[in-house]
Amino acid sequence: MIAIYVCAIIAVYAGLRVVVEKNTMRKLPFLNVVSFAISGTIALLLPHPLTILAAVAYFVGSTLESNAIASTWAGGIRRDD
Amino acid sequence: MLDEPTRILIAAAICWMNFMAVDLIFKLPESGGVVGATAIAQQVEAGGGHLNGGTMMGNIVSSPDASAGTLLASCGVFCAGLFGGLFAAVLVYIGNRVCYDPGYAGTTGCITATFIVYGATQIGFAASDFIAGMVIAILTIQGISYVHSSRLIARLWKIRCRLLRGCQ
Repeated sequence: MIAIYVCAIIAVYAGLRVVVEKNTMRKLPFLNVVSFAISGTIALLLPHPLTILAAVAYFVGSTLESNAIASTWAGGIRRDD
Repeated sequence: MLDEPTRILIAAAICWMNFMAVDLIFKLPESGGVVGATAIAQQVEAGGGHLNGGTMMGNIVSSPDASAGTLLASCGVFCAGLFGGLFAAVLVYIGNRVCYDPGYAGTTGCITATFIVYGATQIGFAASDFIAGMVIAILTIQGISYVHSSRLIARLWKIRCRLLRGCQ
């Protein structure tokens, strides 16, 4: 039962670090920790086989969002032609 | 039988070694898989960190890597046993392709973690220990100090290059 509290506390801590960090690109690793902690919390709260789909969908979705933010901030895909 | 906090800390150490070994073998610190990963690496370096460490941090942010594989394998084993972990590996493979990542670090990390977590559940650990353990492990890399963690990754990357070669 301690596991779920560990995940929840880390999610809140990383969320606060996202707010405090000024540099947008350096916010993203903290956001990544939030995704890990929330995915873990989803699985621990709902021990059912379909929960794996929910946890993976949440995790991949949030990773794709971070990927999109970082790529857009960096100027997107470079097209030379 | 160990108590839960001790098991979580041991699980965190096992998860840390699993994802770090797989990510270093798959050369995540060498180059950014997508433009965003390279941009994160440059910002980490500008803030006093190391470029190779920053590249690996950027790659972890931009696509499900071995650390994500370890977490989702633990979730899979927790929810549906050994086959749950292997099903999570298939989902991580799809997730990699969704994020335009051509690599196999996530899928490999997920498969190795599935067997590690399933094996550990046979000797007194619970899969939930590994879920919390992996969250603690990623916290040490991504969530405390990007300067120190990127330097630590760069040091491990140098050791990996000396032992296995094949680095640029």
